[in-house]
Amino acid sequence: MFKKLVLSSLVLASSVFAANEVNVYSHRHYDTDKTLFKMFEEKTGIKVNVVKAKASALIKRIASEGENSPADILITVDAGRLFQAKSQDLLQSIESDYLTKNIPANYRDVDNKWFALTKRSRVAVYKIGSGTDQELSTYEDLANPKFKGQIVVRSSNNIYNQSLLAAMIEHHGEAYALSWAKGVVANMARTPKGNDRAQVKAVANGIGKIAIANTYYIGKMVNNKDKSQREAVAKMKIFFPKFEKGGTHINVSGAGVAKYAPNKANAIKFIEFLASADAQKLFAQGNYEYPVLAGIESSPLVTSWGTFKEDNISINSLGQNNAKAVKIFDQAGWK
Amino acid sequence: MKYFKKLTISSGILTLLIALPALLILVNILSPNTENWQHLKDTVLSEYVFNSLYIMFGVAFLTSIIGFTTAYITTMYSFTFSKFYHYALILPFAIPTYIISYVYAGMFDITGSVTMFILDLLGKENITQVYYMDIMSIEGAILVMSLVLYPYVYLISKTYLIAESASIIDASKTMGLSPFDTFVKVIIPISRPAIVAGTILAVMEAVADFGVVDYYGVPTFVTGIFRTWYGMGSVEDASKLASMLMLFVFTLIFLERFQRRNIRYRSSGKDFAPICKTPLKGKANVFAFIICFIPVFMGFILPLAQMTHWFILSYEDVIDEDFIRILLQTLSLGLGGSLLITMLGFIFVYNVRLHKNKISDNLTQIVKLGYSIPGAVVAVGVLSFFSHIDNAFNIFISGSILSIVFAYCVRFLAISINNYESGFSKIPQSYDDACKTMSISETGKLRTVIFPLIKNSALASFIVVFIEIIKELPLTMILRPFNFDTLAVYSHELVGQAQLYESSVPAMFIVILGIVSVLLLAKKMIKD
Repeated sequence: MFKKLVLSSLVLASSVFAANEVNVYSHRHYDTDKTLFKMFEEKTGIKVNVVKAKASALIKRIASEGENSPADILITVDAGRLFQAKSQDLLQSIESDYLTKNIPANYRDVDNKWFALTKRSRVAVYKIGSGTDQELSTYEDLANPKFKGQIVVRSSNNIYNQSLLAAMIEHHGEAYALSWAKGVVANMARTPKGNDRAQVKAVANGIGKIAIANTYYIGKMVNNKDKSQREAVAKMKIFFPKFEKGGTHINVSGAGVAKYAPNKANAIKFIEFLASADAQKLFAQGNYEYPVLAGIESSPLVTSWGTFKEDNISINSLGQNNAKAVKIFDQAGWK
Repeated sequence: MKYFKKLTISSGILTLLIALPALLILVNILSPNTENWQHLKDTVLSEYVFNSLYIMFGVAFLTSIIGFTTAYITTMYSFTFSKFYHYALILPFAIPTYIISYVYAGMFDITGSVTMFILDLLGKENITQVYYMDIMSIEGAILVMSLVLYPYVYLISKTYLIAESASIIDASKTMGLSPFDTFVKVIIPISRPAIVAGTILAVMEAVADFGVVDYYGVPTFVTGIFRTWYGMGSVEDASKLASMLMLFVFTLIFLERFQRRNIRYRSSGKDFAPICKTPLKGKANVFAFIICFIPVFMGFILPLAQMTHWFILSYEDVIDEDFIRILLQTLSLGLGGSLLITMLGFIFVYNVRLHKNKISDNLTQIVKLGYSIPGAVVAVGVLSFFSHIDNAFNIFISGSILSIVFAYCVRFLAISINNYESGFSKIPQSYDDACKTMSISETGKLRTVIFPLIKNSALASFIVVFIEIIKELPLTMILRPFNFDTLAVYSHELVGQAQLYESSVPAMFIVILGIVSVLLLAKKMIKD
């Protein structure tokens, strides 16, 4: 039994190194990605092997595997983890004219160790006709006591909240961020629970008036089999808050090439493909994300939400401030 | 004889190997306090402790009461549908905690299907217009976990009660004790080892849970471990939190063994007689029926009905060639893993019994700790462990099936060992002595005495571990090889995409596999 297991696993392991392929460690788990990987396989003949898990776990795995790691690509759903992988020296610089030319400087690493592929914004969602949009303005203002008992938001365990607070730290420093977080906690309609969609459903059903959520979840709720999600989101509208001295909070999903990537050339081709017009269109239309490539048409639904000014802070700061953000959440009592 | 020396040595090495990841995390309890640690102590640690204890006591209370009462009623009495309940009461075990938590939220949260139905009946527009208790709370978490974990207590208590000779009960009746007094003064005390063993398994699973408490927004040790690891990027402080959790569970295991030791002499093994079930009539009959109906309905029928509805709406979109591949991968992993673990469990426990060796006994207890470590933490231990081996021998085990199977051993051997320990405690030491007197060889004894008496425990171990592996999520997700998915992982991904309806398809297959296993188990028990 044991022998067989060892043998079969060694065979399996060695097959990983053999053919024309690219090995992807991905935190993204959307159906659009499956389609994209198939498109890439058909176009290039390079087989895409995937392991999906949370980015922190994947980073730990790459670190543990060291020089033996079969990973070519790390894909995350936030900038913080890309920063973390880079600071642990798990990614390598790559040269790609296409990527440097087409991805704006703020959405790629200075050393070209990672590249953003899509953007997502974290916004306020309110009930149509509630008049709440007249009250809403900046992220800073969400701590204003006038919103007492009105805000619903998920747990601070979540990376999107951590990134938002990291951005607040970058804009105003830690002391301000703490008092802001305390202010928001005081304004909460209930203790944080559930995911972003649960917040939207809560407001739609009379609990609180402002839900904080990422935009693409709204798109997913509109096109969902679950009636309660469709009904809830039909009553709701998006408001794009801004930072006082910036724009709407942006996070990115992105990819980097692993330091010991056994298929480096394929890995570069893979990232270039994900940044190509075809792939970007699918990200935008299939998953309701904002493309990083200019000139890509969004889905009509996303277009209907309107446009907004993107925040101007460096995406790297989201990673740099992440640990501080978690501690501030603890101090503020944001569950 | 030589063979058995080998057994001791190889089992010693194996135990050590499997205890290693747990030990590696346990030593972190001694690591110096960092700035992060001070921060945790100042802010959230007390809340983690309180919530984890609350969950522990809550789940222990509910599972022991539900599990033992139903086990007792169905063993001692015959009533309407009692044969059906014999099987049905184990069925909730087929539903993973994270799945029942999603399903219950989907039914009872502020916009749940049942909630909306009731609001409609009342003519109310939304939940804020009525008084309600939020299912997504710590009490809700305790409830949903207990509903699917009580079968641990039910199963172990039932096996124990069936094996326990009916003569004890008859004796207490002869001595004029009422059925109630018999229950309180005789049955509960003699069943204590079984109740405690089952409850501890349920509690260990509950305190190691991540899926439910994360979704319901309850901060516990486990959410804290991930928050510290993922959010603060500190594996060290996360391991220290994990080590505290383990120490706590270790204390539990110690207490359990302590109470079991005092009780071992009770079972003489003589006078074994099958239990004669008392038929119930009238009110008592209805009462027994209802007592058994509640857990089966809440823990199985209701969630399954909701899942079936979702399943019908979405199965056409989900079941394809890829899905079949995932199903087969899950099956082979479950069968292979549980077979291996059931064999190892036997070797460990039998070795301890044979040689009464203190060191291997203690190691076996450390192996049991694995069950209390959250899957993701086990995965980290196993990753580091194999990466050392990989680098030393220039091979690639981490990221292969082998590392997953090893991690399952670390995590699930406790279940197997508990089953065997409970089984072996019913085989009096005098049997071993008798074999010696009759100069039956060790292999002969194994074949003719031990195996027949222990095979039910082995079967129970195999089935329970199989279900656990099928349900397992975090560890599998982190350690799996390329292009390798299980039903649990797939279901989780769909939930992550808010495709609750679609997620019910792989979840349903997990539950069906669970049901089949559970029925096999129950059938076996009835036969004996």
